[in-house]
Amino acid sequence: MKNSIKVERAKKNITQAELAKLVNVSRQTINAIELGKYNPSTVLALKMAEVFEQSVDSIFQLEDRDR
Amino acid sequence: MKTSYLFPNRFKKIGWVIFILGALLGILYLIFGVNSDIKMFDANVFAVITDKRWADGITFFKVVDNNILDEIAGVLLIIGAIFIAFSKEKSEDEFISKIRLESLVKATYVNYAILLFAIIFVYDWMFFWVIVFNMFTTLILFVIFFKRALYKSNKQLKNEE
Repeated sequence: MKNSIKVERAKKNITQAELAKLVNVSRQTINAIELGKYNPSTVLALKMAEVFEQSVDSIFQLEDRDR
Repeated sequence: MKTSYLFPNRFKKIGWVIFILGALLGILYLIFGVNSDIKMFDANVFAVITDKRWADGITFFKVVDNNILDEIAGVLLIIGAIFIAFSKEKSEDEFISKIRLESLVKATYVNYAILLFAIIFVYDWMFFWVIVFNMFTTLILFVIFFKRALYKSNKQLKNEE
């Protein structure tokens, strides 16, 4: 799964730490998600989408290797 | 989703105090206590099952005399290690839980790999001592692997800045 969180963060001009606080997780979690090392739970994905005022599937997309 | 089955974060410090105390008593036991040299720890204890007197065979529900230094050390080590291992991190979340699970699986594998090796290659009283240490090694290995994984993900943060 790939995601555009880094881009969305840049658009909104918020840091990893600020996003972490908004969705109530650690900075490590945001960082790991951005690096593609961790797939967030559905709840966390929804919360992040809410912060960016987007739908989940516009931020998170399946890759070929997921299929 | 809340992580269940974990102690509050403050138990971690308490755990370290208990564990270090247990480790000191454990070392004391290894140096002096094996031959029950420290008389202040001699006590009458209630045994659910014992074979203290070989001639009597196995007996149940009996009060026997025993040097309780190793019992105290063992109890403190296990309680301390459990608190250290299973207290929440300051920022316990789903990613930390994943690291926690991975570390626990790894620790279990490594621990049993060591035990398998010992079963095949270690004999007599030395095997007894392997089992003694094996009572604590799963938890200790878990703490080491977990801390290392947390440290790594923290270090990655520093690189991102």
